[in-house]
Amino acid sequence: MIEMLSYDFMQRAFLAGIIIAILASVSGTFVVLRRYSMITETLAHSALVGVAVGLVAGYNPLWMAVVLALVAAWLIEYLRSYFSLYSDAVLSILLSGSLAVAVVIVSLGGAFNNSLFSYLFGSILSVSTEDIYTIVIFGTVSLALLLLFSKELFFIAYDEEVAQTSGVKVKLLNFLLVSVVAIIIALSIRVVGSLLIGALMVIPTVAALQYRVGFLPTVLTSLSFAIASVILGMSLSFYFSLPSGATIVLCVITIFIASLVITKR
Amino acid sequence: MKFSVPIFDVKNLNFRVGDQEILKDISFQIFNGEYVAIIGPNGGGKTTLVRMLLGLSKPTSAEIRIYGKKLSRFKEWSKIGYVPQRASHVDANFPATVEDIVEMGRVSKRAFFSTLSKEDKAIVHDAMLTMDVVDLKDKMIGTLSGGQRQRVMIARALASKPEILILDEPNTGVDMASQKRFYSLLSKLNKEENITIVFITHDVGVIADDIGRLFTINQKATICNNPKEALSCEEMSELYGIEAHLIHNHKHEH
Ligand SMILES: Nc1ncnc2c1ncn2[C@@H]1O[C@H](COP(=O)(O)OP(=O)(O)O)[C@@H](O)[C@H]1O
Ligand SMILES: [Mg+2]
Repeated sequence: MIEMLSYDFMQRAFLAGIIIAILASVSGTFVVLRRYSMITETLAHSALVGVAVGLVAGYNPLWMAVVLALVAAWLIEYLRSYFSLYSDAVLSILLSGSLAVAVVIVSLGGAFNNSLFSYLFGSILSVSTEDIYTIVIFGTVSLALLLLFSKELFFIAYDEEVAQTSGVKVKLLNFLLVSVVAIIIALSIRVVGSLLIGALMVIPTVAALQYRVGFLPTVLTSLSFAIASVILGMSLSFYFSLPSGATIVLCVITIFIASLVITKR
Repeated sequence: MKFSVPIFDVKNLNFRVGDQEILKDISFQIFNGEYVAIIGPNGGGKTTLVRMLLGLSKPTSAEIRIYGKKLSRFKEWSKIGYVPQRASHVDANFPATVEDIVEMGRVSKRAFFSTLSKEDKAIVHDAMLTMDVVDLKDKMIGTLSGGQRQRVMIARALASKPEILILDEPNTGVDMASQKRFYSLLSKLNKEENITIVFITHDVGVIADDIGRLFTINQKATICNNPKEALSCEEMSELYGIEAHLIHNHKHEH
């Protein structure tokens, strides 16, 4: 552990990873309770379009990922509310559409290489100091918004219509939630990778739900599961040279299965 | 009270889906301090009507005013406590204790901080006390019985200190013994706390003595200022037939 932390890149990776664990699990709680887990997968693929644009055009891929994920989130909300389409169908269309666009951009730009692989599955080697700044700035804003409106978001998750008739600004807060989720997903693709971030958002909460405790304890449990998975997963990634996203997700799934078994008794 | 602004003022509400008329030419007013029952058969349009009053769905045409304001302009939603029909069907896994749920009643009232003030906490406690759910406060909502959940939902509505309480079929899933207690509680809220109550049900048998006016809804609305008379009225049976008849439609007066 000490040896691992003597490397600068590992310090950066741990810092980024822990911030992302906090963000992913807190926002994930609301996403799961709203039964909106699929949006994480779709936004992750949209973020990948941003990465592709960034890699090919030479912009900062992380910034581009944030922009594209935000655009996708707003597009989803727009399509859902103005065309009354089934939301899972919208998500599914946008997911494959994004992936197709990303692959085309990357292929045309000749950037189909290792650096793309690291954005798909996460890499602890790739977190730069600049990335840390981006993650800290966007992450702080996102977390502040989530905490500020956590009671409202919880109310909406419980019953959207009752929340609305109680004066909660449901539309605005839905918009806020998907925006924050989009940003968080984009930020995570360095450490967790776009194909695996959905798992880090959804599974800690689903595991925490098994313990059937109140709202705050559920969020805190989910948070500890996410942080534990990130720390354990990144350590495994370091010692066995595996993509960090994959090891993190395997850890979180292990916690989930253990939770199922423990709470079934 | 005669000259006061009605809480709800509905004129010529119509709702059509295709060529099916679901609600037809409905007009009524509900005043502060009233205890109104809305009854009608299942599928008669009661839930649809209430959702329209609250802006949750749009009628084909209507003029709806709340506290004198057009529905689209109305902002003071915390004056209204709404307990929807399906309120007691919560996901068994939802991570909320009874207290978590009742605290939601304070959400739109509190300032821009995530914590509730001492005063908020006291109001939440009072609401739980009124609905007799204090002992359940640390229980998970998913583990409660239908009747208990229903009381929690009403406690949540009460925690926002509403001036009007709209209850859509609150008696479903509640056993007879607790129903009696429930009705006396409602009339207590109405009389002692001056909370206007709108009680929606398909069950004629539950119409309590304390009810001031009765609206019957089956596509059309009829308004009856003397519920006892309405219940003995032969036309009542026809309400549960195809069409409603006008029983009484006096101008509302106190
Ligand atoms: N948007 C809609 N489209 C089609 N039918 C509707 C719509 N809203 C309500 N209805 C119909 O209106 C009728 C009234 O339903 P509802 O208001 O739930 O009655 P109640 O609450 O009195 O039992 C039902 O037959 C329902 O199917
Ligand atoms: Mg109904």
